[in-house]
Amino acid sequence: MVAMPSEPCQELTQSPRYNLDGDIIFSVAKDQHICAWYSHNGERLGTYHGHVGAIWTVDVDPTTTMIASGSADNTIRLWDVKSAKNLKTWEFPTAVKRVEFSEDGTKLLGVTEKRMGYLSNIVVFDINPDPAAEQTDERALTIVCDESKATVAGFSYLNRYIIAGHEDGSVSQYDAKTGELIDNIPIHELNQPIVDLQWNADRTYFITACKDKSAKLVAARDLTVLKTYPADTPLNSATITPKKDFVILGGGQAAMDVTRTSARQGKFEARFYHKIFEDEIGRVRGHFGPLNTVAADPTGKSYASGGEDGYVRVHHFDKGYFDFLYEVERERINRMS
Amino acid sequence: MAAAVSNKPQQDWADDDDGIEEPSTELPPVQTISNKDGTKTIISYRINEDGQKVKTTRRVRYITQRETVNPRVADRKSWSKFGQSEKDGAGPAPDTTSIAENMIFRPSINWRKDAKEEMGEQEQLKDKLKDKKVKCRICNGEHFTARCPYKDTMAPVGGTADPAAAPIGEDPALSAGPGPGAAGAKKGSYVPPALRGAGGAAAAGRGESMGGKFGDRDDLATLRVTNVSEMAEEGELRDMFERFGRVTRVFLAKDRETGLAKGFAFISFVDRSDAEKACAKMDGFGFKHLILRVEFAKKAAQ
Repeated sequence: MVAMPSEPCQELTQSPRYNLDGDIIFSVAKDQHICAWYSHNGERLGTYHGHVGAIWTVDVDPTTTMIASGSADNTIRLWDVKSAKNLKTWEFPTAVKRVEFSEDGTKLLGVTEKRMGYLSNIVVFDINPDPAAEQTDERALTIVCDESKATVAGFSYLNRYIIAGHEDGSVSQYDAKTGELIDNIPIHELNQPIVDLQWNADRTYFITACKDKSAKLVAARDLTVLKTYPADTPLNSATITPKKDFVILGGGQAAMDVTRTSARQGKFEARFYHKIFEDEIGRVRGHFGPLNTVAADPTGKSYASGGEDGYVRVHHFDKGYFDFLYEVERERINRMS
Repeated sequence: MAAAVSNKPQQDWADDDDGIEEPSTELPPVQTISNKDGTKTIISYRINEDGQKVKTTRRVRYITQRETVNPRVADRKSWSKFGQSEKDGAGPAPDTTSIAENMIFRPSINWRKDAKEEMGEQEQLKDKLKDKKVKCRICNGEHFTARCPYKDTMAPVGGTADPAAAPIGEDPALSAGPGPGAAGAKKGSYVPPALRGAGGAAAAGRGESMGGKFGDRDDLATLRVTNVSEMAEEGELRDMFERFGRVTRVFLAKDRETGLAKGFAFISFVDRSDAEKACAKMDGFGFKHLILRVEFAKKAAQ
């Protein structure tokens, strides 16, 4: 199907993320800079320097003017995409494991690690979309997760809820204005951490990836589990593909076990499932280590996976991918036409 | 010449492993050669899953593809590079970007089934045996037959139902309980075929031994012919011995691979007197430059 450039970064662990137009991929790794790449040919546009610790997370605003990154140096930094200037730095007592912009780019959310007596927090900042403007120091909201550490979080549609995934396998729904906990539902096996949470295009539902070897599609409104995708390995990431009704799961043996298993046994493959029928429809090999992150191109033309092996692989889909239909889908199209 | 050889550091056999592994950790840089026809040859090295160094030579043709994009995207394409890529030229830099091999990905509903077929035979076998449990032949329990607690008190399931499969001579003794003879007393212990039925009525079962299908005839009227030429044929031997009487069987030992005679043969007669005649006449007979030696075949050692 896919011919694609792959992009080695010196350090292990890669987490790529597409911008909204799907032309630029931002990737972070345990080396201390963020990379920006053109997705169509894998050319590196540039790097962002300033962090002094491993970078865990990056997100880009909807207009691709600013990116935010969270790092083990206990900061969230805001960058101007074009000039690579560090616009703002927020400091925290512990590492930042996740940042995410809201749908409209006016809010930024960060999830801080629970460590050294500090509880895990979800913090929200108001963002001025003008890169020249001064950004506020004030937190718009702080949600303290005292029950179980939050690992991932994001804004739902219309900034109505903040949805968080927890270490104990549950998801929480908070009111995005007041920070009040509305609901907490254990959807995954107890004490199996949810490690990824990615939205569909309009943020009405999301997919969780969990170490319990499954991914689940969950509605943002009432946290009902819509679909379950069982895998045969602990998952690190899951994403929903636009255009085609697929989901991509990435995972593999834990990093510490990798040296003892061959690439084949380690199950270092991106798994494609049909979003609606929940069937596994194929796998894509290529990485030499577990997949840390899979990210779908918002335009649906490609996907990127970041591996423990230090590569970001960008795969462009070909015709066979777009032509694939279930028999029932084909029948329905025929009836409609 | 000799000096040149000695200049080379002598490698100890014990260091052999290091010598092999060292080059594999350092990979030569990627080479790119522009060809006349507009293609480029890219030679790259990598280490495969088994730790072996793999050299990949690829010829790549760059085709400029025109695509209509959103103006925002077009604007971003014209951005100047920054950070560590500041000095990179247009296009992907070979030190950060490499083109991977084409991956074949065909979504399929039957993906799992297809993948199973691709799986190695060994893995398939493993898969098949995954749900298999150890089953005892005696009590159907989940242990090996040898470990069965009823091993000494019960016969294998279905074993006695089929008399043909049961050891000869032992079966009647068994059904009669701890009956007469050695065979019945120690059930379960191994009895060599020759001794089976020894506890029964004399040598009734002795026919079990090899060559039983020819009966006694074999021992009485069979000649052993040795020093037979390699070029001999069974037909020739039959012709020669049929002069003395009716021959029922001619066996000429032949090498399986070469097809040449091994040098000995057995001739069976219907009548022992004919055999005696043949033995007397043919012993010392010249056949194909060799002198035959003919004698009565000895009975197989008991």
